[in-house]
Amino acid sequence: MSAATATTAACTYCGLPLPRPLFGRKMVEATGPQYCCSGCRFAHAVTQERGDAGTASWTLTCLGLALFFSMSVMVFTIALWSFDVYEPASEGNLALPAAFADLLRWLCLLFTAPVVLLLGRPLAVDAWEDLRRGVWSADLLLLTGVLAACGYSTWSVWSGGGPVYFETACVILVFVTFGRWLGASGRLKATAALDALQQLLPAEVCRVGADGPRLVRLETVQIGDILSVQAGERIPVDGQIVSGAAAIDEQVFTGESVPVGRSVGERVFAGTLSLDGTIHVRATARPREGAFGALLEAVRIARESKGRYHTAADRMSRFFFPVITAVAAATVVGHGLVHGWGAGWLAGLSVVLIACPCALALATPLAVWSALGRAAGQGVLFRSGEALERLAEIRAVAFDKTGTLTTGSPRIAGLVLSSEVDAAEVEQRALLLARESNHVFSRAICAFWSVEPGAWVAGSPVVRTVPGCGLEAIDETGDATQLGGWDWLRRKGIEADVSLDQAHADACRDGHSVAALAWGGAIRALFVIAETLRPEAVDALQQLRARGCSLVVLTGDHALRAARLADTLQVTVIPALSPQAKAQELAHWRARHGAIAMVGDGINDSPALVAADVGIALGCGTDVTRDSAAVCLLGDDLTRIAWALELAQETVRTIRGNLAWAFGYNFVGVAIAAAGWLHPAVAAVLMAVSSGVVIARSRRLGCADEGRPGSTAAAREHLPRAVVSTVPAAAAAGLAASEAAP
Amino acid sequence: MMTELVLTFVAGLLGSSHCVGMCGGLTMILSLTPRGRWHIFGRQVAFSGGRIFTYCVLGGLAGVLGQRLAAAGATESAVRIAGGLCLLAGLFLVVEGLTAAGFSWRRRSSGAAACGGCLTGPLFTTFLRAEGLHNAFLAGLLTGFLPCGLVYAFLALAAARTNPLEGMALMTAFGLGTVPLMVATGMGSTLLTPLGRQRVLKAAAVCVVLTGAITVVRGASFLCGSVDPSGPSCPFCNRTQTSLTAPQ
Repeated sequence: MSAATATTAACTYCGLPLPRPLFGRKMVEATGPQYCCSGCRFAHAVTQERGDAGTASWTLTCLGLALFFSMSVMVFTIALWSFDVYEPASEGNLALPAAFADLLRWLCLLFTAPVVLLLGRPLAVDAWEDLRRGVWSADLLLLTGVLAACGYSTWSVWSGGGPVYFETACVILVFVTFGRWLGASGRLKATAALDALQQLLPAEVCRVGADGPRLVRLETVQIGDILSVQAGERIPVDGQIVSGAAAIDEQVFTGESVPVGRSVGERVFAGTLSLDGTIHVRATARPREGAFGALLEAVRIARESKGRYHTAADRMSRFFFPVITAVAAATVVGHGLVHGWGAGWLAGLSVVLIACPCALALATPLAVWSALGRAAGQGVLFRSGEALERLAEIRAVAFDKTGTLTTGSPRIAGLVLSSEVDAAEVEQRALLLARESNHVFSRAICAFWSVEPGAWVAGSPVVRTVPGCGLEAIDETGDATQLGGWDWLRRKGIEADVSLDQAHADACRDGHSVAALAWGGAIRALFVIAETLRPEAVDALQQLRARGCSLVVLTGDHALRAARLADTLQVTVIPALSPQAKAQELAHWRARHGAIAMVGDGINDSPALVAADVGIALGCGTDVTRDSAAVCLLGDDLTRIAWALELAQETVRTIRGNLAWAFGYNFVGVAIAAAGWLHPAVAAVLMAVSSGVVIARSRRLGCADEGRPGSTAAAREHLPRAVVSTVPAAAAAGLAASEAAP
Repeated sequence: MMTELVLTFVAGLLGSSHCVGMCGGLTMILSLTPRGRWHIFGRQVAFSGGRIFTYCVLGGLAGVLGQRLAAAGATESAVRIAGGLCLLAGLFLVVEGLTAAGFSWRRRSSGAAACGGCLTGPLFTTFLRAEGLHNAFLAGLLTGFLPCGLVYAFLALAAARTNPLEGMALMTAFGLGTVPLMVATGMGSTLLTPLGRQRVLKAAAVCVVLTGAITVVRGASFLCGSVDPSGPSCPFCNRTQTSLTAPQ
């Protein structure tokens, strides 16, 4: 068994990594489900057993019954206590109260037995499994303590004298079980926030085969299957529309709430929502693969990676168990010698109970998972928990310009024609070339005449791309047409008249780009291309500035254009940087301002994204596999950066608070318990409370601003519709009928 | 002691419209069973039985707590403690009543409490929906632990008894008082319109505020006047008590 598999072994229920063997023993090869704690074992049993609505699972009933028996024991004990208090005062016949007290003690014994059997057994199984894995768990100590308390009390009842601790044993068992379960549920909720994405996919899909449409399980869908997607349903797999058309809500990927129209031949992605119209989709990827699968995988990897705080907490919790065992043993011996072994045993039990490794183990992952889940719901994908932690420390943010601060789709701001040229001919020749290219300038030219790019026109000549310069087409007659950079054309010795020369100089001075169109040895037209700033860019920068971040824009553009941008945005703009120079510039800024984040589109600025402390890529959408960025914005909303920064800072604050709480609580609690001032029953209750505090603090991260567009809440709103539409009408009618029946 | 229990029962009866507002939904889920009316009745009674059992145990614990507190001080301070607890209980009731009536000056905490609720949710719903009387009983058992100002108030009263057995008796009487209306709600949940339910809730809130006010007055009289601590402790009987002690 390799070390890799050993480290990735995770709890079947909550997904938390399993505790590692203490003394370097090899892990036992796992055959069945594995659990990280008894709480997960318990909670998993509950969810597994939950069958029909009419039957409560046996595990839950166990807890309920144990609670009932424990409360009964409590009542008997209360009665016993009142005897203790009033016995000296009561005059007359003392024989009757004594007999009654004896009866009560027997009843306590009788009612404690089922509690130990019902709740002690899962603990015992867990402790035994851990032991087999070579892990000495706190459960083992706990169980030993509880069983010892019960054994001692039973002996007391049998021999007719001495104190009984049945109520203590019961309360410990109930609260330990309850606390562990609460912890397991909390962890599951945190991971469920991540899995909310996965739940977007329907469990059953309608496959259109030779024998007509039929509902099948999503897992059985193969590449090439034709699936029918009704209005209001999520598209289950990546595919291509073969018939029909619909408005598709692609919010999951783009963060854009405005639906886009998709029709025959166009690609659709799993997880997106068909708002109107029925479409038939040919699957091009298997379920849970493709773009959505990549998204899920990225989220899963992020969840499994450990941040610095998590690693630190793990390292410390490795010392936790031996230290607590030692303290508990010392307490038992110390108090045992001074106050008697019964008191010593109780004090030792209190130490074991109050030293709650749960709070420590939950402190970091729960907060990180909640935050990751919420971020994913908001279209922000963190590659790892560590990325989240690093983002929280950012003091400066650097931006790429093209495609980041600007939309990346420039527009034609002006068309200048040379004196003796026909506008129609310019249009015809320009489109001939521009259509063949995917360059942003070509697309802008197509958009200028409202023509779809890529539409091939019969009889058009072969277009050659000259990398970094432009396009060139030569038809049969040898007539050449070029579309490209001004300098490239001038280098080729192509003439330009004075008016165009002047226009070019003007455009450059204004910070615009130009594309020139030439044929017959002369430049005939000049496209003045302006970049459009993203509408939210100014706001986004302002938000970051308000959070105390130093801002800088790193661009490859020339100085004139940079100065213009600096004016508009009121930020420092460093111009004329090659990708490598950007990385060096980042190092300078880091030295001056502290940790720096780089925001780019992740395509041509990868070196800078890697060189920064945190790389943030925009518009990952369906391509989350871009590896260079630690943080991916699925959409291209720049204001998400400030949002993510705030979330990261809040998360780190929560983690620190959780850790401080867990350590403080354990330290103070163990000290009090070791002093013998804490009753084990109270310690058991406090333990559950401690876990609860950590869970509540962390879960708060996962449940805020749900009303915002693009949030998971908004996404889930669509869900019932999808579910309802898959329920056959007959079944729905049957349901209504059964409800109407008395 | 006997008359106090009867009066606590009455207080529970009057206050239970508050229970209907808060926990009525739970009893209605209980009634979602296709079996006959008597079966529903049985489930409702089992549910209430579970609640009362929890109240009884909590009452005992409160009594022990009160006893310990009282034992820690002299008899004089025992009276003070009882008075303080009464005052606390009354304030609890007033706040709870006003909140229920809609005069809420504090925002309902949604964060931590809601999280706790959603984590333990499966526990409740499973038992509430499951067939079988024992499940209804267990659901009631758990419901007794739900945070509720009314229960806290009476627990404070139970603590003021400074005797576990009396505390248990007091809480049992309170629980029994809540039974008729809760069972009735469960049985006839379909009879009440949402508007009717709202009106019942309003009336209940007023009742709770009144009970609270009386308890506060009683607590104050405990603290200020010298009242025999073994005297009546029900909020409704100390009207006479206060009128007796006030002139002093």
